[in-house]
Amino acid sequence: MDLSIMIPELLSALPLTLAITFTAMVAGFVLALIATTLRIRRAPLIAQLADIYVSYARSVPVVLQLFVAFYGLPVLVAGFGIDDFVSPTIAAMLGLSLYHGGYLSEVMRPAYLAVERGQHDAADSLGYTFGQKLLRVVAPQAVHVALPGYGNAIIYLVHNVALVMYIGAADVMATAHLVMERDYNQYQFETYLVLAVLYSVLCLLAWLIVRFFELRSAKFGASAAPARTTLMASV
Amino acid sequence: MFDIEVLLPDLREILSAVPLTLAMALAVFVLSTIVGSLFAMVEYRRIPVLRQLVVAYKVAFKGVPMVVVIFLAYYGLPATLQFLASLFGIDYNGHATPNWVTLIVALTACVAAFQAEIVKGALNSFERGQADAAYSLGYRKSQLFRRVMLPQVIVAAIPDLANSFMVIMKALSLGFAIEVVDIFAQAQLTAALNFYYLEAFLVAVAIYMVIAYAVTQIADRTERALRVRT
Repeated sequence: MDLSIMIPELLSALPLTLAITFTAMVAGFVLALIATTLRIRRAPLIAQLADIYVSYARSVPVVLQLFVAFYGLPVLVAGFGIDDFVSPTIAAMLGLSLYHGGYLSEVMRPAYLAVERGQHDAADSLGYTFGQKLLRVVAPQAVHVALPGYGNAIIYLVHNVALVMYIGAADVMATAHLVMERDYNQYQFETYLVLAVLYSVLCLLAWLIVRFFELRSAKFGASAAPARTTLMASV
Repeated sequence: MFDIEVLLPDLREILSAVPLTLAMALAVFVLSTIVGSLFAMVEYRRIPVLRQLVVAYKVAFKGVPMVVVIFLAYYGLPATLQFLASLFGIDYNGHATPNWVTLIVALTACVAAFQAEIVKGALNSFERGQADAAYSLGYRKSQLFRRVMLPQVIVAAIPDLANSFMVIMKALSLGFAIEVVDIFAQAQLTAALNFYYLEAFLVAVAIYMVIAYAVTQIADRTERALRVRT
């Protein structure tokens, strides 16, 4: 086994892994904002739908969510008269966005609720609209509360991108399988050790970035204590 | 494209994997809670060297995706077991280790890192004042632990433990890569036979969501019942 060959080869698939991660990060964030808003405002029926979505994202294994996206998306787009454009990469992006959005919603909602009741009331009594209240009063404080949970969410997202190989996206894990098979499967354990190190470094980077923002937001002297984050992994 | 008629036969087929999945999840849950509690005790008691080792363990297992850990166990565990057995002079063929044992070991290793965190959090939520009160009443350390701490710590940990049970249920779905059949793998097998993939997976989704709902309900009820007593 030659590490100097294997590592560049694995890294060549990193852009795709990162592309899926970033797409899921952005799309998931937007989804989470929408889902959280719907759940907070408690409009009948829509709020229940948002609840079901969040519990889908949280209680179904990510592999299964990926497969549902992979097989469900063609059926969905066929309904709009488009057929045959779905690639594993797109399905992976969609599946992970849905997963990340649901997970993140469960980080955002406690953060929103952690802002003191009195401040909501004050903003309401001053005639702020929901959007203004969110932007000017709640968000600046909630961000500080939510950041540790957000860091966890990102780390689990990076972990779960490792699963996209099962629906056929050519990410780092899939490349590792190719590399192993080329070497007649002699170095499987070693290759997975390299992967473990690679993912640890990725997670460390993600964690450092979030940590930087955490320290920055702490400077603004938000008084609310960080909400209890879920300590469990998310698969 | 979407066939409703296969849903019922699929459901029957996939439900057959539920008892085994629950049993495996329970095994991982119990084992990882025991290991995690040991880790948490090491950190709570601030035992020198061991404490640093536990922290290193937690960092390592939180940074690595569970799939990778499962594959590492799949390729590394048999040889390790055989080596350990030969140290004690036992003739054991490590490669005969069933895959479900490998899966349970791998998941226990992963989840223990998180369980340690949960148990530590619960231990830290315990007020020192109660310990002082117990000591002033002449409790011994073991009595304090058994009569005062344990009942409160367990109740404090219930929501997180329920959550971790669900995570274990979900993590078992990664076992299909090493040929362990759980709910998800059964859905895949069922689908592979009749080619109705989406239908089988949606049935599996429904099963997972129902189980999650049941687990949360049970945890809530237990917590409420225990809170009244303490």
